[in-house]
Amino acid sequence: VRGHSVEELLAVVLARHLRDGELGVVDPVSPVGAAACVLAQRRGRWVSWLAEPLGALDSRTDRVLDLADERLIGTATAMLDLGPTLDVGLWRRDFFDFAILDALQVDRFGNLNTVCVGPHATPARRGPGVLGVSAHAAHARRFMIALTRHDRETLVERVDFCAGVGHHRGGRTRETELGLPPGGPDLVVTPLGCFDFHPESRAMRVASLHDDVTLDAVRAATAFDLVVDRDPPPPTEPPSDEELRVLRLSVDAGGRLRRTG
Amino acid sequence: MGRSPISGGSKEATLDDVVAAVPDGATVAVGGFGLYNAPMALVRALVRAGRRDLTLVATPGSLAPDLLIGTGRVATVCCVHIDFGPLGSAPSFRRAAESGGLRIVEFDMLGLVAGLRAAAMSLPWFPIPDLGTDLPRVNADWYRPLVTPAAPAPGAARLLAVPPLAPDVVLLHAQQADYGGNCQYLGASFLDVLLAQAGKTVFVSVDRMIDYDALRRAPERTRLPEFLVDGVVHAPYGAHPTGSHGVYEWDESHLGYYLEAARAPGGLEHYVKMFVTTAPTPEAYVDVVGRQALRDLHR
Repeated sequence: VRGHSVEELLAVVLARHLRDGELGVVDPVSPVGAAACVLAQRRGRWVSWLAEPLGALDSRTDRVLDLADERLIGTATAMLDLGPTLDVGLWRRDFFDFAILDALQVDRFGNLNTVCVGPHATPARRGPGVLGVSAHAAHARRFMIALTRHDRETLVERVDFCAGVGHHRGGRTRETELGLPPGGPDLVVTPLGCFDFHPESRAMRVASLHDDVTLDAVRAATAFDLVVDRDPPPPTEPPSDEELRVLRLSVDAGGRLRRTG
Repeated sequence: MGRSPISGGSKEATLDDVVAAVPDGATVAVGGFGLYNAPMALVRALVRAGRRDLTLVATPGSLAPDLLIGTGRVATVCCVHIDFGPLGSAPSFRRAAESGGLRIVEFDMLGLVAGLRAAAMSLPWFPIPDLGTDLPRVNADWYRPLVTPAAPAPGAARLLAVPPLAPDVVLLHAQQADYGGNCQYLGASFLDVLLAQAGKTVFVSVDRMIDYDALRRAPERTRLPEFLVDGVVHAPYGAHPTGSHGVYEWDESHLGYYLEAARAPGGLEHYVKMFVTTAPTPEAYVDVVGRQALRDLHR
């Protein structure tokens, strides 16, 4: 099982990051989040996840499906009614322990843009829209950002449109200026490495680099100065044969994560 | 809140009834979610009729908003999420947005649901927390500062008030209905019931008609009772090429064909001619797409 796609790597790294007892919600566009949750479950981690469009809890399929796919209904533990799904899923704080989100742009403080690159009225690139990103970034106890690109157009100094607040303007401004609960992003995974946030400044920090990636390459692909505590940074633990085997046999048997990446 | 049937007790309606209920400039909401349960037969009828200057309230969708926008039917879109999921971004929506030729009223799920709830509950506004996004900056009409009787508690977010969002016409797709307008879902109903509660006139396309006795054997499937429905249009494969939960899967090759067409200059015209203009009825559409191709989408 040597060789893996970027999306497989993201799913493996995210699955390791989930903790026993957590309930999560995942981005509807990127298949990586749902794959990470199911992989963690199949590897014995006691986590739950909600396919929010359906209200389907803990669907167990051996392939990564669209989050509105009816096959997720037939394999779920529970089907939540729409009202409660919206009431607690969008309005309530701390209902979700984690969210796994994707974005067009992410900035130094982990704020997310899923709407537009450039001005809102005349964007250079139009994204799909906000959907639940605003609520999940604000209300989940923590969130993770999974990116299939790492370049200066994606990791920017400041997002052109804030669709989901991360650490706002750094430090504790998320709480003090906006009145949001503590939380925000605690992990960013990209094709080049893993990143967390400095505990004081809440600026993005290099946590580990993937195979054959140098710090210079990461800096060249990032439009802001990353915090570097250790030079050279430690390597990302590569996906084990066992992780890839479980992922390919019982999480993503359809190979959706291998098609793109 | 009983609604008057279109003709004596029956709520069976035609595509012409739907088109007649949507004047130029109307606010039209389209139900379903992503690649599922989009009322495509009703949407194609609006495209054929050449309706203009519509305000489209798009629940998270794919082909329905993209086709309406690409064919120039829409002046303003209330957008929460428009995307083709695993197949990529929405080409007509992107082109219109990036050329500045489309007015986009940006929503998140909180704002959309709050506006629909305010309309459904006859409230002047519904509260949501201010989550620190740029939505109030670009959409001040719908994300309004809410002055509360008491100052927010320490550590609490400011609040916003979202006014009622009441579509003139709501277009939905369910799997089956009786002639009285009771609509059944064989899978998820997404935001459809909330849309029906918020809208003024509601039309539902269904893949098949069933009789009242059959309907009463599974009342838990009747998510849209007749008092929320003005007209039911019998349209087999009415959600195609999106999927219809419990009946058929979304059509990957057809949607791929659409996306290829819509990405090429002038390509959309060809698609529209082939699948919209020359197929003026649900039956004609089935013939154009091909019965065998459609049967292959059943699980």
